[in-house]
Amino acid sequence: MANGYAGRFLRVNLTDGSCDPFTVDDALLRKFIGGSSLGAKLFLDGFPLEADPLAPQSPLMVMTGPLVASGFPGSSRFAVCAKSPLTGIWGESACGGTFGPELKRAGYDGIVITGRATEPLVLSIVEGEAKLTAAAGLWGKDVYETTDLLKEADKNIKVLAIGPAGENLVRFAAIANDKGHFVGRTGLGAVMGAKRLKAICVRGRQKMEKADDTRFRELIKTAFGEIKESALANSLNAMGSDANMDIGMINGDVPVKNWTVGEDFDLSSALSGPTLSETYLTRVHACTHCPVACKRVVRVPDGPFKTEEGPGPEYETCGTFGTMIMNRDLAGVIKANEICNRLGMDTISCGAAIAWAMELFEKGTLTLSRTGGLDLAWGNMDAVLTLLPRIAHREGLGDLLAQGTLAAARMLGGDAEDSVVHVKGLDLPMHDPRGFHGMGLAYMMSNRGACHLQHSVLATEQGMASWPQLFPMKDDYRGTTSEGKAELVFHSENYGILGNSLSICHYLADILKPETIRDAFNAVTGFDLDFAGLMTCGARDWTLKRGINNLLGVTSRDDVLPKRIMTALKEGAGAGSVPDVERLKSEYYALRGLDGRGFPRQEKLRELGLDELRQRLYPD
Amino acid sequence: MAKYNAMTQEWLEAWKVKIATSAEYREIAKNWEGSVSIIVNPDPAAGIPEPIFLFTDYWHGDVKDFLVCDKAKAESAKFVMSGDYARWKQVARKEVDSTKALMQGKLKLRGDLTYVVRNIKTVNKVIDLLCEIETIWPDEA
Repeated sequence: MANGYAGRFLRVNLTDGSCDPFTVDDALLRKFIGGSSLGAKLFLDGFPLEADPLAPQSPLMVMTGPLVASGFPGSSRFAVCAKSPLTGIWGESACGGTFGPELKRAGYDGIVITGRATEPLVLSIVEGEAKLTAAAGLWGKDVYETTDLLKEADKNIKVLAIGPAGENLVRFAAIANDKGHFVGRTGLGAVMGAKRLKAICVRGRQKMEKADDTRFRELIKTAFGEIKESALANSLNAMGSDANMDIGMINGDVPVKNWTVGEDFDLSSALSGPTLSETYLTRVHACTHCPVACKRVVRVPDGPFKTEEGPGPEYETCGTFGTMIMNRDLAGVIKANEICNRLGMDTISCGAAIAWAMELFEKGTLTLSRTGGLDLAWGNMDAVLTLLPRIAHREGLGDLLAQGTLAAARMLGGDAEDSVVHVKGLDLPMHDPRGFHGMGLAYMMSNRGACHLQHSVLATEQGMASWPQLFPMKDDYRGTTSEGKAELVFHSENYGILGNSLSICHYLADILKPETIRDAFNAVTGFDLDFAGLMTCGARDWTLKRGINNLLGVTSRDDVLPKRIMTALKEGAGAGSVPDVERLKSEYYALRGLDGRGFPRQEKLRELGLDELRQRLYPD
Repeated sequence: MAKYNAMTQEWLEAWKVKIATSAEYREIAKNWEGSVSIIVNPDPAAGIPEPIFLFTDYWHGDVKDFLVCDKAKAESAKFVMSGDYARWKQVARKEVDSTKALMQGKLKLRGDLTYVVRNIKTVNKVIDLLCEIETIWPDEA
């Protein structure tokens, strides 16, 4: 096994209770590196793609990368991958926290889980030994209770757990690491719930070999120096990800009232990172090996939204439970975040579903009888907080919303789907493509549906990062133009994808110089890849996942932006502007080597070394 | 319209007048209090053999001192922004957004970043007004 890796993976079959280590060829690691890239390759080669995401034969994969557990800043990440029960296509979600490094120290680079247990189980991996035990008394408990109970038995373990939403197969159920870090998107908590796996606990002390330890130590010092000098790092430390709220509202990034209003500065001021710091912040928190410490710990001391001290909301949550539903009370956002955390639900898709429901309530499509008596008026947080457990437990309107916004709209019929803001079934994160056309293209082409974390477009288009050493970049990109954006997105994807295969934090990928990341990767693995080689790995990842999606039925018809986004706003920085979808798509298809159907051309697949995929896409 | 040599006292005075006569600025900046200095790193090739220090001061929508100053005065400001001449020129010409330049490390800020983000509309307005001044740059004179 190559340097930087634990050296083995774990295959778990919950139907027969077996736990068997296996290895992966070094050649495969060189091509796919790790994280969700390697997960996609294992998925393509080893599993029936057509199976229902919640069926026993569909795998749930927990993957790390070579930098994880190395001590390199931002290298705490891990990716969970599966066919998404929300979208029906490739699903993945990356997460920081503590689990990734501890899994490697416990002796494994990743876990591939299939089957379905007859009773709820917990998977424990301690110092290389894996075992399944009955989750007696844990099923039905929320994420915080589950984590606390598991840590009572062993305070040093790191926990990955689902809450009631995962148990009840809510299509946007999340998986939580140690309460405060979430595998949020694409509903992978439901896959874990379908397997009746309540939690995974890991602990270990294994050290990973490095190809050049001396050089690696120098690079850690270099990285710390770059972080100290970085305004982005300082901003994240001071205000968390919600630093974006004030600036984003000015730039046309922040969606308001289910994407129908262009700006509202009273809202952004009430919900911003500085406001959070001045009111409910009790301390900051960091993932393993991260000096940036962007995580917020908050407490609402009194009032109707009183909370215990706990993980605070990210920018995305301040959007979905704030600006999107016209809630001006930051304490209400914090309370909604706490409830979603405990129940184990993605705050983006959950908040988006509620914003959609509020719009339909205003229009009269959803009546009080359909909402179970809940007054879903804009900004009514009492109703929102009542609705959240109903979603997780699938009661009344909650059961409808638990299907995901798109499926719920199709069940309602009429024009309900016009208000769903999604790509390929995944609700848009809180960045408006009308203010930033490159993000629109990135949403259209992202392999898990509308996503802001499968690439680095947000960082490059909004000017948080500049990498002229990687590709021809302008000093400044105007948001409301589609000119030059296909090329920007193409390159920003190829580089940003490395965050998911190397398993490093996207923020650190934006903060650190690409040279530092490249050299650290090479010092750990000895692979000696240059920028071109790394960008090719990124392109290979994108094309592999695209091919999987093509096999699952995705075509060029799915590469679209929703009707709401193609309707110009009347106010704000994005007013009067919508992405030029046809131009963006045409230029991007040429760069990616896609044909008119949206399939990778055979020569592109050969060029990227994806011949097995080529044979599946072109069987004749 | 009159033209001003960049980074001179006359240029600063013109900028100050622009800000002081802007009703929009007065409204946006009603919560801002404190001075901002600009340090331009030397660039002999562009005709800047020594660093240039500029001091500007703002108070709840009003403007106070706008001075070409020495290093000590510049470093006494509540916020100190420094960067290469070429970057400042790009910012003053609106070729690069100042927030982006800051995030990308092309400009450095010393001071409370949270305060700046909280008042980012004020910062943007001040830069917008600077961009309205007809400027003669030393490397173009």
